[in-house]
Amino acid sequence: MAGNATAQEKLFALREQIARLEGKSLPGLTAAKREEAAVHPEHEKAKSSQFRLALGVPSMDLALEGGLPLDGITEIRSRLMGDAGAASGFILSLAAHLKIRQPDKAPVLWISDVVSGQEAGLPYSVGLRQFGLSPQNILYASPRKLDDALWLAENAVASGAFSATILEIRGNLRHFGLTESRRLGLRAKAAQRPLFLLRHAGKEEASSASFRFLVEPAPAAGRRLPDGSLLGGSIGHSVFRLTLEKSRNPAPLSFLLEWNLHDRQFSLARDAGETFSSRKEPAHPGPRLPAPVDRQDRTPVVGTVVALERAS
Amino acid sequence: MRLTALDEICEGLGLKRGQGLAEARAMFPNIDVADEDGAADRALIEAIADWCDRYTPLVALDGGEGLFLDITGCAHLFGGEEALLKDVLARLLQMGFDVKGAISSSPGLSWAICRFGRGGVISGERMEEALISLPVNALRLEEETVASLCKLGLRRVGDLLHLPRASLARRFGTRLLLRLDQARGANEEAISPRRPVAALSAERKLAEPIQAEDGILQLTGQIAYSLKPGLEARGAGGRVFELVLFRVDGRVFRITAGASQPLRDPSRISALFSERLNAVHDDFDAGFGFELLRLNVLQYDAFEISQDDFTGNGRGEISLADFVDRVSARLGVDCLRIAEPKQSHLPERAEVFVPAIMARPVQRKVEEIFAFAPRSERPLRLFRHPEPVEAFAATVPDGPPQRFRWRRLVHEVVRAEGPERIAPEWWLDGQDGEERDYFRLESNTGRRFWIFRQGHYDAGKVPPTWHMHGIFS
Repeated sequence: MAGNATAQEKLFALREQIARLEGKSLPGLTAAKREEAAVHPEHEKAKSSQFRLALGVPSMDLALEGGLPLDGITEIRSRLMGDAGAASGFILSLAAHLKIRQPDKAPVLWISDVVSGQEAGLPYSVGLRQFGLSPQNILYASPRKLDDALWLAENAVASGAFSATILEIRGNLRHFGLTESRRLGLRAKAAQRPLFLLRHAGKEEASSASFRFLVEPAPAAGRRLPDGSLLGGSIGHSVFRLTLEKSRNPAPLSFLLEWNLHDRQFSLARDAGETFSSRKEPAHPGPRLPAPVDRQDRTPVVGTVVALERAS
Repeated sequence: MRLTALDEICEGLGLKRGQGLAEARAMFPNIDVADEDGAADRALIEAIADWCDRYTPLVALDGGEGLFLDITGCAHLFGGEEALLKDVLARLLQMGFDVKGAISSSPGLSWAICRFGRGGVISGERMEEALISLPVNALRLEEETVASLCKLGLRRVGDLLHLPRASLARRFGTRLLLRLDQARGANEEAISPRRPVAALSAERKLAEPIQAEDGILQLTGQIAYSLKPGLEARGAGGRVFELVLFRVDGRVFRITAGASQPLRDPSRISALFSERLNAVHDDFDAGFGFELLRLNVLQYDAFEISQDDFTGNGRGEISLADFVDRVSARLGVDCLRIAEPKQSHLPERAEVFVPAIMARPVQRKVEEIFAFAPRSERPLRLFRHPEPVEAFAATVPDGPPQRFRWRRLVHEVVRAEGPERIAPEWWLDGQDGEERDYFRLESNTGRRFWIFRQGHYDAGKVPPTWHMHGIFS
């Protein structure tokens, strides 16, 4: 009997350890936590929200289980390099939002590869200041090799000197797989600092990020006049079309998020739903005006060859 | 072709420098001749000079044929002048150099004794006596002066010493008197050291050479600890450190590392070098080990002592400075940068990137206040060099285009804001800078761009050009 009990105890301890490694909650642990929460409710609440960045949008925070983790990796990817504006905009708005929530002097580190800088331009400090980030609080690192970039990211997260570390890469790289991402994730967990991974023109890939967003550009909200109406034809606050691809929720979730850079807060875009008609193909594709032949976007040939004519 | 240098055997045969090669070959057909390689000779003497740094920081080259060491205040570290000279000569002989050396109180006399005397240490009282017996060409004079002195029968320096100075100067020029005074020590002659003297320096001699990187770093930490009192006495902390490693076989490695904040802490100084050693790993060959390590402080700044509070919040700043130092040491100072605002309303001139290790917080605040803060929106990402754009169906004269082609893709414009006119800076660009009209455009895919038109639509003029300058979120 005694042997059975010790074996069970061992099993339970191992289970607990696995759960802790995976960051999941175990029935026994949750029960203990609940008990503690019953004794000190406000204390427990503060503890759980300390490492979460709530976006201030209830439906989204619910899907994110309280917010983005501040002690782990969050991946943000875009389908095309051309969407770099939206992707970096979302990530910088997160950084600015984080700054509002935690007004300490710790800067943000932006690690970018050379190609992204050439393709999409370098972050512009005057624009960043308008976006809510003080330029003296951002450090830019431009390592030449991926190894250096990973070393930088790992050390930056581990040093605890940065309120957020942003690692910008392009595409799915062979030498940045699950092992490297797991390593970064563990560092972030140990140092309790967030790492945002910005992947331009990337595919879905297994990683140790707890959440992964797909960012696409969306038409901006119009400028609001003092009486509350919209100014037609104006380009106001940025709107991002986000798809929560990876989370504990089984179904991918999609919404339009607006970043108000004056109030520095997120909100759901009001005219969600009616946008994105422009992305669809026209109902009756017909031949367009012929374009010059030496260009990439010339009109594709209409129709398919069903049978070739007889030669003779 | 002429002979420029001779070995002992050839000198014994009676060959002279400056002799024609054909003549020498005719006299001694079996001599070996090699082409002179000035660069290699220079590299060799530089390497020996580097090695001599172990005795004194003030080492100067004397043409390509000798070295001057200013050992003022250093001799006692090696057990006196006699022992120092013996040590230098013995070690150089072990390396295979037959060297003559002399120590005296003037560089001119040492030079003369090395070349025309027997070397050794000449004390202050014996200076005159040593000088008297030397030939006049020991005075570093031009050939003609030496020749005309010899013609007059003045073959020894002693013959010149008691002649009236005025007539000597009249006949042979003031240079002779200058050289004479320099040799006697009456006229102070400055030597020009190869390297600036470090503000502070500490070293450790090792009986057993070390090879391992860990050992080097540990020793660096110990040496840095002995630098601490010196830095504290000055109220300073080091900004640039140099670690000099003397290898057993005479090669010298110099590794420099910078810090973003004045440093005193030995562990942080040795951490700097740990990253540097990683970075220079390929060029760093420990060979049979290092016998002497020296840590120099090349630059120092006032050390601000900040008081920690009980919550320990000061930790963040230290770890940031530490991170900046380590990255700069490992990946180069240009890897980690920070944007400094500048007073300019041209978008690309409104910021410059400076290495984070050199950023000065105080100066930045002033610039921040006076920096131009535009009221209209600026893009998140800016292209350093505006890229050409093909614009179609732009509203004449000053409207946005309906469509544009950028990087071979056509974008349909749905919404546009602008123009915002930015005039050229005539104080920099001159009179012919063209003004730009900026537009914020949103394409049908929801992407937002910042493009500008340079020039105007005007009859009989070149059409304006369109450029992409940035992208919005």
